[in-house]
Amino acid sequence: MRVAALLAAALASSALVAGAEPPAGPRRFAFGVEMSAAVGPEDRGFFNFTSYADSTQRLARLSLTAEWRVAERVALLAEVRDENLDRPRVYALYARLRPWRERSFDVQAGLIPPVFGAFPRRRYGSDNPLIGYPLAYQYLTSLRSDAVPGTESDLVVTRGAGWHVRYPFGWGHTDPAPGLPLVNALRWDTGVQVHVGSGPFEAAAALTQGTLSNPRVRDDNGGKQLSARVAWKPVVGLVLGASGARGDYLSGALVSSLPPERRGHYEQQAWGLDLEYSRDRWILRSEAIWSRWQTPMLARSLGALGFTAEGRCKLVPGLYAAARLDHLGFTHIDGPRGRVTWDAPVWRTEAGLGYTPVRHVLAKVAYQHNWRDGGRVRETVLLNAQLVLWF
Amino acid sequence: MKAARLPVLALAVAAGTATPRPARAATGSIRGRVEVMRELPAPPARPSIGELAMPSPHDVPNRRRSVVYLEAAPQGAFEEHEGRAVMDQRHETFVPYVLAVTVGTTVDFTNSDRTYHNVFSLSKPRRFDLGRYAAGQSKSVRFDRPGVVRVFCEIHSHMSAFILVFAHRFFATTDADGRYRIDNVPPGAYTIVAWNDGEPRETRTVRVGEDGGVVEQDFVVR
Repeated sequence: MRVAALLAAALASSALVAGAEPPAGPRRFAFGVEMSAAVGPEDRGFFNFTSYADSTQRLARLSLTAEWRVAERVALLAEVRDENLDRPRVYALYARLRPWRERSFDVQAGLIPPVFGAFPRRRYGSDNPLIGYPLAYQYLTSLRSDAVPGTESDLVVTRGAGWHVRYPFGWGHTDPAPGLPLVNALRWDTGVQVHVGSGPFEAAAALTQGTLSNPRVRDDNGGKQLSARVAWKPVVGLVLGASGARGDYLSGALVSSLPPERRGHYEQQAWGLDLEYSRDRWILRSEAIWSRWQTPMLARSLGALGFTAEGRCKLVPGLYAAARLDHLGFTHIDGPRGRVTWDAPVWRTEAGLGYTPVRHVLAKVAYQHNWRDGGRVRETVLLNAQLVLWF
Repeated sequence: MKAARLPVLALAVAAGTATPRPARAATGSIRGRVEVMRELPAPPARPSIGELAMPSPHDVPNRRRSVVYLEAAPQGAFEEHEGRAVMDQRHETFVPYVLAVTVGTTVDFTNSDRTYHNVFSLSKPRRFDLGRYAAGQSKSVRFDRPGVVRVFCEIHSHMSAFILVFAHRFFATTDADGRYRIDNVPPGAYTIVAWNDGEPRETRTVRVGEDGGVVEQDFVVR
């Protein structure tokens, strides 16, 4: 309902613009389809599992996108996804408005693309040179939004088990459930954002219902997230970006169940740096994300640092090679057996080839090696293939 | 795409099948107009679902320009030309949208925009990928095989163009009014084709007389 309200508000404002100035040309629709299917061996360590309990390495996805240019400076956009023949989900649904023709100032409202970082706005199949996601955008930590660890011991026993988190001495839901990634690239958040561009600079800010790790359609805690990113393009081909976000991430139901002295606002705060440089046959990208979650029952906040670097090089027309290095590290806690990181640090390397026999078709093979300093399965090697069709 | 591959490839296969005439006979011209009556749907564009702002405006290619060519060229007309041609990238559009050249021509892909472009083609007659290059720079590709080459930009998915590579010189691109003229055609009977926006649309038979002259042949593409 809130999405509908946001869209209604956006449409009302867009109607004013449209009324003041009719569209210059015929109304225009654009449709897009992306189908992708990844196959490979089972990920026994759950390194690639997402918040929807799917593995990105064994994922069939159908994505339908639509854009309706209602007026010259007003558009409605939507994306519906179906993954592994599960029920279709609305991934994006928002209105875009440019109030002034001559100014690079845009407003978007609804279920909107994230402003934080660089990776989440890339398309999964066709814009991702490999099959996996960067760890910071996908890997499930042992934190939840509907349950909190009661002691450091709760975290110690769940180290490296983010796909199936349950705190023996915690508060909140007691059923096992997937944990939170640093930034969830599988879901978009609901709210309003503005974007301003001026020469080599651009900036965007958003006010949304959820947080980076837990994007939401409906607010469940009365707190909003403020996120922003500034980007600088000093020369053609180089983009430097810096992002920040903070917002309440624990559900209101959980917070109200806590002892009275522990009730309050518990935030996820995150900072990010991103870089992209491309030239000739090369694209190099790198991102670093620092996230901190406040927890009610522990003395200290829990921090995590994600770092990823990837490169893609075209070898011959239609064929490229790509590689990505990934690391996710965590701050320390004092456990019963000494000082340990609150979740198991993870490393990942992924390398692969992509081949485009004809436009709109991309076939990938990728080798992925994961290590984790904890958990039942500490290392996995996966060889996967993915076929992507897009129109 | 399927239809786009066929006609010009056929040119090479059909080499020398036109009625031969004495080498010193007078030559004629074929001229006329191609009127494109068919609806040209908007070029396909992907929804800008992951963007934070309205996509920057870009020009719309002139897809009414057509190419008229002889399907089977006169015998002895097949020769390589070391020519040069230019396909510019301007306001996120290839200019011209259709470029017709002979085998052996080198095409310069200039970039007149302030952003990167990455021209590539996966067409069988010439697969190439020029990589990313900035404004003011130009990269070149030589076309050594006849056929239809579909050109794209890897960065801007709405950008596309056609390069028709002929094994002979009996072709012409229509002007802004749709007019064309093919000169120096030896006497004989020819099949003449009007190609528009990816496909051969209309085919006619024309005859150039022994004394040359001008043959009028109009096309209506519906």
